[in-house]
Amino acid sequence: MAFSADIYKAFEDVVGKRNISKDIGIVETYRCAAAQSSAHYGPYDHKTPKPEAVLLPGSTDEVQNIVKLCNKYDVKFKASSTFWSSMGFIGDDNAVQLDMRRMRSIEIDEKNMIAIVEPYAIAAVVQAEAMKVGLTLNVPGVGCSSSPLASTAGWVGFGPTSISMGCSSENMLGAEWVLPNGEILRTGSLGAGAGWFCGEGPGPSTRAILRGFQGSTGSLGVCTKIGIRLHPWPGPTFIPTRGTVPAYKADLPDNFKAYTLCYKTWDDYAKGLALLHEAEILFLGHRQFNMFGRDIKTAMLKILTDTDMQLCDIPELVKDPELKKVNDDMKIEVQVIIAGVTKRDAEYKEKALDKVLEMSGGWKSKFMLEKDMMDYVLLYLIRMGHKNLNYVLCGAYEGNYGLSGNLFVSAKVMEEASALKRKWELEHTDIAAHGGDSDMGSCCIIGGGGPTGWEFFTNFDAHDKASIKGTAEFFNETQRWMTEKGLGVDMGHWNQDLRKENGYWFSQEEHDAMYAKLPQPLVTVYQYKAREAINPKHLCGSYYRTLTPGKYNSQ
Amino acid sequence: MMDGLRDRLIKVVGRENFFDDNKTLAMYACDESFAKSMMPRFVVKADSAEKVQQIVKLANETKTPLVPVSSGGKRYKGDTVPSVPEAVILDLSGMKKILNINRQQRIAVVEPGVTYGELLAALKKEGMTLSVPLTPKMSKSVVASVLDMEPRLNSLHQWNFIDPLRCTEVVWGDGNKMFTGEAGGSPMDLAKQWQTEKWQISGTGPMMLDFYRLLTGSQGSMGIVTWASLKCEVDTMLHKLHLVAAKKSEDLNDFMYRVLRLRLSNELMIMSGTYLASLLGVSAEKVIELKKELPAWVALVGIAGREILPEERVSAQELDIAEIAQQFGLKMVPAVNGAKGDQVLEKILNPSGSKYWKETYKGAFQDIFFTTTLDKTPAFIQAMNTMAEECGYPTTDIGTYIQPQNMGTSCHCEFSLPYDASDAKQTEQVKKLFQKASESFAMMGAYYLRPHGIWAHLQLNKDAQSTSLLKKMKDIFDPNNIMNTGKLSI
Amino acid sequence: MALDDFKAMQERCSNCLGCKWIPFDKIKSQRFGENCPSVCYFNFNTYSARGRFQLGLGILTKDVEYTETVTEAVHNCTTCGLCDVSCKVTRYNLEPLEHNLELKADAVKKGKTLPAQKPIMEALAKEKTMLVGKSKASRTKWADGLGLKDLTKEKAEVLFFPGCKFSYDEKLQKTAQSAVRILKKSGVDLGYMGSSDMCCAGRALQMGFQDDFKKNAEANIALFKKSGVKTIVTPCSDCYHAFKRQYAKLGLDIEVLHTVEYLDRLIQSGKIKFTKTIQKTVTYHDPCHLGRLGENYIPWNGKEKKILNQVHTWEPRRPRYIGAYGIYDAPRNVLKSIPGVNLVEMERIKEYSWCCGAGGGCSDTNPEFSSWTASERITEANSTGAETLVTACPWCETNFRNAVDENGKKIAVLDVLELVEQAL
Repeated sequence: MAFSADIYKAFEDVVGKRNISKDIGIVETYRCAAAQSSAHYGPYDHKTPKPEAVLLPGSTDEVQNIVKLCNKYDVKFKASSTFWSSMGFIGDDNAVQLDMRRMRSIEIDEKNMIAIVEPYAIAAVVQAEAMKVGLTLNVPGVGCSSSPLASTAGWVGFGPTSISMGCSSENMLGAEWVLPNGEILRTGSLGAGAGWFCGEGPGPSTRAILRGFQGSTGSLGVCTKIGIRLHPWPGPTFIPTRGTVPAYKADLPDNFKAYTLCYKTWDDYAKGLALLHEAEILFLGHRQFNMFGRDIKTAMLKILTDTDMQLCDIPELVKDPELKKVNDDMKIEVQVIIAGVTKRDAEYKEKALDKVLEMSGGWKSKFMLEKDMMDYVLLYLIRMGHKNLNYVLCGAYEGNYGLSGNLFVSAKVMEEASALKRKWELEHTDIAAHGGDSDMGSCCIIGGGGPTGWEFFTNFDAHDKASIKGTAEFFNETQRWMTEKGLGVDMGHWNQDLRKENGYWFSQEEHDAMYAKLPQPLVTVYQYKAREAINPKHLCGSYYRTLTPGKYNSQ
Repeated sequence: MMDGLRDRLIKVVGRENFFDDNKTLAMYACDESFAKSMMPRFVVKADSAEKVQQIVKLANETKTPLVPVSSGGKRYKGDTVPSVPEAVILDLSGMKKILNINRQQRIAVVEPGVTYGELLAALKKEGMTLSVPLTPKMSKSVVASVLDMEPRLNSLHQWNFIDPLRCTEVVWGDGNKMFTGEAGGSPMDLAKQWQTEKWQISGTGPMMLDFYRLLTGSQGSMGIVTWASLKCEVDTMLHKLHLVAAKKSEDLNDFMYRVLRLRLSNELMIMSGTYLASLLGVSAEKVIELKKELPAWVALVGIAGREILPEERVSAQELDIAEIAQQFGLKMVPAVNGAKGDQVLEKILNPSGSKYWKETYKGAFQDIFFTTTLDKTPAFIQAMNTMAEECGYPTTDIGTYIQPQNMGTSCHCEFSLPYDASDAKQTEQVKKLFQKASESFAMMGAYYLRPHGIWAHLQLNKDAQSTSLLKKMKDIFDPNNIMNTGKLSI
Repeated sequence: MALDDFKAMQERCSNCLGCKWIPFDKIKSQRFGENCPSVCYFNFNTYSARGRFQLGLGILTKDVEYTETVTEAVHNCTTCGLCDVSCKVTRYNLEPLEHNLELKADAVKKGKTLPAQKPIMEALAKEKTMLVGKSKASRTKWADGLGLKDLTKEKAEVLFFPGCKFSYDEKLQKTAQSAVRILKKSGVDLGYMGSSDMCCAGRALQMGFQDDFKKNAEANIALFKKSGVKTIVTPCSDCYHAFKRQYAKLGLDIEVLHTVEYLDRLIQSGKIKFTKTIQKTVTYHDPCHLGRLGENYIPWNGKEKKILNQVHTWEPRRPRYIGAYGIYDAPRNVLKSIPGVNLVEMERIKEYSWCCGAGGGCSDTNPEFSSWTASERITEANSTGAETLVTACPWCETNFRNAVDENGKKIAVLDVLELVEQAL
């Protein structure tokens, strides 16, 4: 059914005149530039389709009424909290975009370490409010400008603190969800009104349908409120800072220490990380600054910790022999933070970390021990407020490779991956030539250690069409390599089976053709059936992988 | 029709694994709970996933209810008692292979018949252990235990609520077989996965649907797990247990919250003196003696050191936790009247003897358990005492166990009611109290996460949306409703 | 520059949310963490700097046309620059404020203005003020009897430039008079522009009227140069920014100081001594144009240069207006030196100060939005427990004067000068 004035009026009656628009300018700003922040999709030189209207719901009731109207008039919809990546945008012509920014409440149950948050309560403010009562949360690697609700309900959500706090799915408690058919589901203990404290069950977990390894990315309705687990914060009620932008540093007490652990070989690195997975001493573990590129990372650290410096200083800095030594020292490294909850605990953790280094042949970078640098790192990694430095080099980036899984397998192929990227950097001009290895990632992606999630940062220029095209070609090359190595889907392509190159959603037929070839296609057959059960009109797009049952022969 | 089924079942499992004699059938017709007894029609024992799949397909064809059972010995929760007639018990307790132990990734892959004792012994050789529920029965299937989300003793290792469960191989109620978790993203062949160094580490997904969460808490009503990978832990090199006594449980709560907040301790739980007495007593007389000696309430604080500087770790935590106890007017000690820490530690970490410890005191028991938050437990304890009095059940016999879960955001709250099953009056008292308490707790906001027996009705009746969704999932994964038919009200 | 000079920036903006929040490192609470009045009031992404980049690009690619909504969206920006300094925590190659201003200028060039802007620009042309209803003839009445040198006829070291608000607002006139008396008493050789005194026209630039601004600015620059003054001191932050940053681009090379800077110097050198104690707990609001937009102008004529294939740099090095070097210490020093005054800070201070809502012409073109913005700041001020909100800008002061917080509660509003005078 076409989007008529009557339909528009019906939506307007739900959210109020002020909170809906179909103006050409307004809807234009709700299109994702797929050359920019597309996240595992693209990069492509185009934008996603224009929504018919943009709505700003202010409550779960409003969301439900919107969804019911969508069902009535066969209008597709997608909700997003921060619109950081292409995932949250609509992908059809007859679709409305829900912008969740008016829903932003935060409640904290300090005793039981739980926060109940709405979509636009971004991690930065949840953390700020939690710190007031001695708590914090797992901030996903994408940074504190992300929505914990969206991360938990919609995507994967591992981050620097996952080693001690778990990833987003592991921190999920009860959730309130407007299903695509307009019904409201409250999961876990919330369902029968017992509270938000338990995300499992009752019996089999209702949350199972809504998120697995990754969330449903807005394709199964709208999560309007969620309980998340909080974690201890043995620091002050807010992080005091000093310095001048961008060189802000944390003034934290002595129980917080940031170190950069360095290794000579990837084998030793893997050994060290494995020991750290088991040692239970880290508050945080993340290979962060290597995202700038092997050749220039210490130059970038110099620039970012000096207000007067800029990117034009890179060439001089990399020539500095002393800095070069430091850079070489830090070729294979990871940043860690230990946070002692008591004096004895702090002392033990320090000793234990030294022991790990001794057992794995690693050392602490002296360069990173300097107080200002350590305090810069502490602030950067605890708050994750500078994650948009992803874009600092060229204005656009995309994560690729995505060596996720066995730490020892990933470590073995790192140099080869780096060399492949370096070769492309030198033979082409479309991506930043910053030294091949630009891997960044959590030292593990689930609580307590285990699999890694390492992405290489490939920086390119969203303003330069050749750069955009060349980057996409590079990702095809790295995918070819990943396939050859049996390493699965390249991170740059993770969402390419969920949204077409032209920005539109896939049809069922298109998905059928893809997923029939999976090693275990049944996964997508059941997802089809689950979707049919709660989204029979397919109103939320194609970010839920489905395979029509008839297209698969069961064993 | 039954004869036809009989023959076909024999064809799958072999005559030696097929049972239709009354004696065998009676063993599965009821358990130690108050679940209404129902004779199954047949009992079959399967020893491979292929046979399980054949049986499930056959059950679909013939619309035969199937009840999977993995643990041996006595059963206590009613989930393996058929709810409908003409059910076939599918006993997997003979599937005892430990398919793989990988020390590097701290993963073990086991079949459903493997017990805690068997697995712990195998893991020990590799320098590992596994988080356990409190003193499981000797014949308890590890897979059944983790699928039932039995609470682990160290909530700080519960980054994922359903740890240590990771990947599974499952035969769904519709007869399809697949792997869940990361294992579901690769070819359905463990050996091939191991060749490519994939070790079934991450349990979620593999994509957007969290398959294994449809299996947990399902009491076998969605599918049958034929192997599970489990996240193991590095074995301890130094392990101690200390005790903190109090007159009331609420006197321990602030202490518990603080210890959890500081992420200290390994095992951490609260028990009533009665509960601890039942755990430690080797005979009914000993239990009675211990009940008098032990404090009314005790917090059990386990402290462990592993590979990295174990002595330093234990020493630091001992001192820190002792200070915390002091801050709350309590004292952490290595022993109290009637119990020594190391004795308790040995007990809680290992399976029970041939007689399940809860039966020591009076021979039978009934548990009521649910999930809540620690601060709410005093109200539940009070309510339990009041109702016990009303039902004429001696409050001094009520055993209470509070186990923090999920890194301290919730807790398992359990009341254990021992009784003499040969005494009709006691049995009636316990039945009445069980019913009354179950209903009252539901009204008070208890969350029956693991909704065994009547709790399913109590929990799901209050939650129409969840019930509706679970029914839809049931229709997907078990369209002919043959998997443990009648369980969970879905 | 023109709008299409910003195409690269429009395409390189990464939608990171930096323009919607003060730097994340600085956030202390959810309530006072946001930075853009426009997106906070209107809520659509369109109203953020990111949205404006998309709008601008859409206009260039013809995906967007100037509808009434688009025109309003473009002009509903107070040009406070908080998006700009927040962006610069992680980006070296984006200039959101410059783009916001250029977008407004583009709209104006295409005749897309707001109704309330017309009388303002007519007043500027005719009466040399941007306050509608005020006349040129009465502009300098406030100076009668003060003994100020008329710099069209005499020489002085320092030009006192009150700006339109201080010239015409009855309450503010008294503050201007106090300022002159204080400065003169401290021995400052002070003059004013007499009948040549006219609007700085900074607000015209904020609204996108580039040509009108340039015309008035050049006229003023000529007058200032002719007067031979060494220093221009003004109590108006808008004028301060206009002279220090915008006029400097057009060739003004006379020292520009705000009155609080001058006062600070005088207090430090002992030329001003306080004799009374003022028992007050106050909180200070950093005006945008004195604070983050009060940094020195640094001439630059460069271009983009790529290194390492695609890394953007500027050649020569491009000045970064990060807001950190605005005027923050001087007003605080002044307040702390007044006996009895207890200064408590809000959460969003210095370069991350929340806008009063008056800028960009918004107090005239959208009083409701402007008033809401002020109300947000009053809420923040009241949250400190302070009894008085002190500022150093007449636009901020008048906007705050009439505003109430989210609970309907007002707060006393004073200029720094008023407190100084009370304590003398």
